[in-house]
Parts: sequence; structure tokens; C-alpha cells
Amino acid sequence: MPIPTFSAFQTASRALSASQTLLSVTGNNIANVNTEGYTRQRVDLTSLSLTSTNQKFANTNNTSSSEGVQATGVSQIRDTFLDARYRTENSDNGMCTTLSSGLSDLESIVDEIDSDGLQTQLSDFADKLQSLSETPTDEDIALTVKTSAQSLTSILNSYSQQVTEVRDQAIYDLDKAVVSDFNSTVESIANLNTQIKEEEINGSTPNELLDKRNTLIDELSNIAKIKVTTSPEKISDNISVENLSISLYDESKGVNISLVENGQFSMISLNTEGDTAKIELTSAIDDHDTDITDHFTSGSIKGYLDIINGEGSYADISSGGNDYRGTLYYQNALDTFASTFANTFNKLNDTNTTDTLDAPLFASSVGGVITAANLTISTDWQDNTNAINAKAYNASDGDNTNVLLMIDALEGDTSFYQEDGSTLMFTGTFSDYMTGVVAELASDITLNEDYQDTSDTVLTSLSDSRNSVSGVSLDEEGVNLLAYQKSYNAAARYMTVLDEIMDKLINETGVVGR
Amino acid sequence: MRIASNMVTQKYNRQLTSLESDLNDSTTKVSSGKAITNFSDNTSAAVKAYKIRSDLNKVDSYQANISHADTSLTDSESALNNMEDVYQYAMEKIVEGQNATQSSEERDIIATELRSLQDELLKTLNTNASGTYLFGGTNSETEPFTIDSTTGKLTYNGYVLDDLDPTDLDPTHTNGKAAIDSLSADSRYLDIGLNIQFDSFNSLVKSSAFAYTIQGIDIAGYGTSTVNVDGTDLTVSNNLYDLLGQIATAFESDDYSYNEVDTLYSQFQESSGGITQSITNVGSKQNYLDFMTDRYETQELNLEDKQSEIEDVDMGDAVIQYKTDEVAYNAALQLGASVIQTSIFDYMS
Repeated sequence: MPIPTFSAFQTASRALSASQTLLSVTGNNIANVNTEGYTRQRVDLTSLSLTSTNQKFANTNNTSSSEGVQATGVSQIRDTFLDARYRTENSDNGMCTTLSSGLSDLESIVDEIDSDGLQTQLSDFADKLQSLSETPTDEDIALTVKTSAQSLTSILNSYSQQVTEVRDQAIYDLDKAVVSDFNSTVESIANLNTQIKEEEINGSTPNELLDKRNTLIDELSNIAKIKVTTSPEKISDNISVENLSISLYDESKGVNISLVENGQFSMISLNTEGDTAKIELTSAIDDHDTDITDHFTSGSIKGYLDIINGEGSYADISSGGNDYRGTLYYQNALDTFASTFANTFNKLNDTNTTDTLDAPLFASSVGGVITAANLTISTDWQDNTNAINAKAYNASDGDNTNVLLMIDALEGDTSFYQEDGSTLMFTGTFSDYMTGVVAELASDITLNEDYQDTSDTVLTSLSDSRNSVSGVSLDEEGVNLLAYQKSYNAAARYMTVLDEIMDKLINETGVVGR
Repeated sequence: MRIASNMVTQKYNRQLTSLESDLNDSTTKVSSGKAITNFSDNTSAAVKAYKIRSDLNKVDSYQANISHADTSLTDSESALNNMEDVYQYAMEKIVEGQNATQSSEERDIIATELRSLQDELLKTLNTNASGTYLFGGTNSETEPFTIDSTTGKLTYNGYVLDDLDPTDLDPTHTNGKAAIDSLSADSRYLDIGLNIQFDSFNSLVKSSAFAYTIQGIDIAGYGTSTVNVDGTDLTVSNNLYDLLGQIATAFESDDYSYNEVDTLYSQFQESSGGITQSITNVGSKQNYLDFMTDRYETQELNLEDKQSEIEDVDMGDAVIQYKTDEVAYNAALQLGASVIQTSIFDYMS
């Protein structure tokens, strides 16, 4: 079987260009060693083979060699299963981080380990009442009781206001940072999908675009729990492209809300009208309910929603209330304290139970139901220091029974009911109630911290695994560099040898005797 | 496992951050001396810490109340001692008056002296300390003992003492035993940590608070007795003031009867029981307060110890921890330079 003369040169030149490709890809890897999200690339080399089906004569022996090497493409080395696991863990991590920050903000409002707050003031109020019990007719002492009560109401007002501020801040963060991030990320992914698909149809492997898209999907997974599905689509005999879709995954209800479908995407927005914050979907893909608040099960959006909407044991589960102990729970807990405190003392101060007149000590500054935000001392007490009744009705002036009753109310157990008056929240002293509230918050914080530590460890380990598969190792690339340089040299040497034998053939064959 | 280049730097960064955070924690503990700075650092310890703080505040209040009660009791005691002195002096004067050698004028002088002793007794019964009447029970704002303008008899908180009848058990009668019991029980109370409680009618459960006053009715005496003098029945007051007045009247009388005065004198001796009993009562109350004071002092020390155990950091442990963290951190820093740089490129010529 005749061997084409110059086919060997083709082999050599293919070897040279393959080596060049190898070197340039290695160089690209080295250059991108610190690029975030970069997946190392490898050249796919195939050995070219001869087929005998288009030869004029049959191939009677197998002495023909193949035609050299060809670089058929540059591919990424990536493990998609690790990606999926990483993204699941990332959404839990996002949720923990958000919760941690919101709960710490709440803790700094009510924590009294290092500072003076409501508990200290309650003790002070009790102390002033004890002084009043010693000299119940002393107007100066009665004044100190009034002042102490005023401080108590101010502290409650301040606590309530600060909790509202934490909630407002969370709403702001959710709206301006997270929802905007979500929408822009989703849009970018959709655009990249379109670009990548075009490139793939044109036959190239857009590695940089793939890396960029993967990074964006990682970011998105921090915000919400998503599910990424790819399905191949056959364009022609040789070319198959990938369709990527991302959906919001609610495992408990088995619901998938489509967020990205190739080039189409949906947007979300925050609706803060009403008592709770809602996330609403504007879908370009399919028909779905607008209110998707309940379908966020993880990610930083869920963290924010828990902080903003969480009502704890005040939640009405049947109507979809959020029973996480968020800002609304602590707001309600403070309100319960304020109204129970006010009602207890107002009732005790009404020593004349025969008439219909009240003798309130505490009231709402804006009228209506007493809450922690509007609790203040009554106008009667404000105008007249002696509005506090130290003695029992119709007793002698030196009697202090009513003050002792008030002291007993502070030292003994009280029942705390929710606003509707029917659900018993807690039985204990006023001080125990507040300690309980702070302790619940602290337990949540500790639990969240532990959960976050675990999540961080798992995330780190998955990240390391991903890097282990896809990351650039300078040592490896260095060794490859040496190897590919050598192979280039060898190919060049082969070229030289071919050149010499051709030279021998052309110039020095058949010149016998010349 | 294949190691990528940025894994090494990332891992190093993470370790360094973690060491720095530990170092920060131990520095805070050493410089503040507090074991917990946030409730969430140690929830169960923090709950206990709150309880202890609250208990310490309560103990302070109880001690203040005890101190107030003690002062009041001391004032009461000196007033009662004064009454005792008046009583002794009156006794001497009566004996002197009974001496057969006394003339009518001299007996008149004795009577006058006895009447002035009556005044002093009244004043002492109405002792006022720091704006409060000591012996009026809950009536601390107006004089408990007054003289009825028509009869000249001693009244306590509006009740004429002679009219009170301890044998009258009908609760609807105003001067019966019910009234006497209620006057006697009408003490002022303070919360000194005996677990103060009220019944369902909002009345104080007496054993759950401390009664720190002596009621005048228990000191002065009440009601009347009938004695026989020379065949005739005589009604004599049981209370000191009116009795003293009766004796003075007997001395002043034109038909002075030695037997009458003598009978009144023995009645007078019996009526002083109220004063001595009240002094004993004050003594035992003050003993009880001393006992409670000691108890609270010990309790305060114990609570402070417990508080320190929970809230304060053991300085020795904290400093050792700090040093350990510092060493670890420095070692990690020194390692950094060598870990990050090396790769095969350093060795390729």
C-alpha cells in the first residue's frame, strides 16, 4: 500500500500544533489560578485514524499508521453532583447567616448581662414600693415611686421601638439587597443561557461563560433553595445542546416554581403592605400564584422572612402564620408584658370597688389597647403624685395594705395571656417572664450558631472537594508545562528528521556516479 | 486527595480567622473579668445570674425594711420606758399620799402632781417619731389618744376605753369584744421576706408579714371593773389614765377615804401589766429582727459568692487561655509565609 510522501509532514505539523494548544491551555490555567470560580481546562486529544472504506484498493496488511493527533476541544473538569450538594448546603448557610445577624440585633436590645435594662428597673420599682410601705403617707417617697414607674414605661417604649427598627432594617435589606440581587442574578443567568446555547450550536465550548454561569448559580443558591435541571436537546446529528432550567424548590409541598427556563426568567418583588411581608412573583414562564412567600424554605430570603414575619407562639398556623420567633414575636411578647403590668396595677389601685370609677396608674398614650410602645403613666398620676393608693379603701391614713398588695403582685406569680385573653402564655413573676423571653432568644441564637458551625464545616469540605476536582494546581501545571515543552521539542525533532530524509530522497537519491 | 493551589491559601485564611477570633474572645475575658458578656454565651448561667441579681435586690429591700422597723421599735421602747418611769413615780406619790400624817392641803398637792403625771402619760402615749404616731396602729397621722370633751375620759382611735366590754361577744355591738380584737390587731406591717401573701378577699395573711407596732389599747388597758369598798360597789377604770384620775379625785375629795384610795391603788398596780407586757413584746420583736438581720447578711454573702462564681471569670484560667491562644496565633502567622509561596515554579530553573 503506497504511503503518501508528505503525509508524515502532516502528522508532524499536527503534533506541533497539538503541543502548542496544550501549552497555551496550560498557560491559561496558570494565568487563572486565582480566578474565582475558574474550572481547570484540559485539551481533548484524539488520535486520527485511517479508514479504508474510501481507498481504491483494499488494505491487505495493517502496516499503515494513523495520521497523528488532533485536539478536538478544550473541556472543563467539573463534578456536577458536587455542585448540587454545595448549592443545597449554601442555601442553609445563607439562611443561618441572616438569622444570626437578625437575632443578635434583637439580643443587643434586651440583653442585660452587661448593662442595665428592664429587669434592673423592675427591681428599682419594687424597691421604691417597699420604701413607700414604710412611710405610706410620705409624698416625697410617693414621688420616687412615680419617677421609677415613668422610667419603667420609657424603657418598655424604647425596647418596642428598637424591635421595630430591627424589623424595618431587615425589610430594607431584603428589598434593596437581596431581592435586587436575586432579580439581577436570575436575569444574568437567563442571558448567559442564551449566549451559551448559541456558542454550543456554533460548535465551540464556551468554558468561560459556563464558569460565569456556575458562579451566578452558586450566588443564587445562597439566596434561595433552588433546583437546577439540565436536559439535552439534539440540534443536529452531531450537535446536542443543553437546556438549563432553575426552579425554586419547596420540598415540603412538592412545589417547583420556575425561575429560569433557558432565556426566559421570572422576577420577584417585596410587598410590605399589611402586617406581614410577602414575596410576589412576576413570571414570564408559566402561570403561577403570585404570592410565593411560603415556598421559600431556605436561603437568605427565608432568613429575612423569618425575622420579619416570625410570630412564634402568637402565630395562627391555620391561616399561614410564621411560627419562627422573629421580631413580631418579641414585639407581641413585650406588648403582653406591658398590658399585663398595666392592668395588674390599675386593678390594684382601684381600691374603691363599690363605685364605677377607675383609678388607673398606667394608660396608653394614644388611647385604646395598651402596648409596649404606647405604655405611659396615666394623666391622673402625672398630675397628682398621690394618685397611687397606698391604703385600703376606708382604712386609716397610715395603712399600707394596698402597697403591700402591689409588692405581692411583683413578687408573686401572675398569669400572662395573649391579647385575646384566652391563650395562657406564661405563669410566673414579671421578672421571670422577661428572663424567659430573653432566654428563648438566647437559646435560638445558640442553636443557630451551632447549626451554622456545622453548615460552615460541611460547606468548607464541599468547597474543598470542588476545588480538588476543578481547581488549578500550580505544581501540576508546572509539570505539564515541562512535559508539553518536551513533546513540542520531540515533535520539532521529528519534523527535522522528516526534513532530512526528504532532503536525502530528493537531493541524494539516484545520483550515482555524479 | 488532589490539592489545588487556592485550597491551601483559603484553608490558611480560615484557620487564621478562627485563631484570631479565639484570641479576641480570651482577650475580652481577661480585660473585662466577666465570664459572660452576652446572654447567649451561656444561657443557663445567664438565667441563674438574673435570678441572683433579683434576689440580691430583694434582700437589700428586706434589710432596709428591717432597719426601719427596728428604729420604730427602739423609739417605742424608749417611750414605754418613759411610761414605766411615770408609773413608778405615780406609785411613790400615791403611797406618800396615803400616809396618815398628810393633811388635806398636802393631799391636794399630791392630787395635782398626779394629774400632771396623767398629762405626761397622755403625751407619751401619743409619742410621734418622724411624723408618725407610734401607738395608734394604722392610724399614724392623727393623735390616737384623746380626751372626750364631755366625760373627760380617755379615748383610743375614737373608742372610749371605759365603754369597751370584753364580755360582749355580739359582733354587731360597737363596743364589744369584736371591736377590742380589731383594735388590738390593727398593727402596721412590713414585708421582710416572709413570702407575703393575701387571701381571696385581699386581706393580708398575718403570718406572712412583720407587725412592727405596739397598739395603744394593749398598753393602756380598757373596760371597767367593779370593786367593793366599805360595803359599796365602785366602778373603776381599768386603764391607767382614767384610774390615775380617779385616784387624784379621791385624794382631793372632802371625805377622803383611805380604803377607797387603797382599793384604787391595788387596782392601779394591776393595770400596769400592759406596759411591762408591751416592753417584753418590743424586746422579743427586736430579737427576731436581729435574727433576721443575721440571716440576711449570711444570705447576701452566699448570693454574692454564687454571683461571682457564675459571672466572674477565673483569672488564672483566663490568662492561661489567653497565652495559649496568643502562642497559637503567632505560630500560625509565622507559618504563613512558608506555606503560601512554595510551588514547583520555585524550583524550575
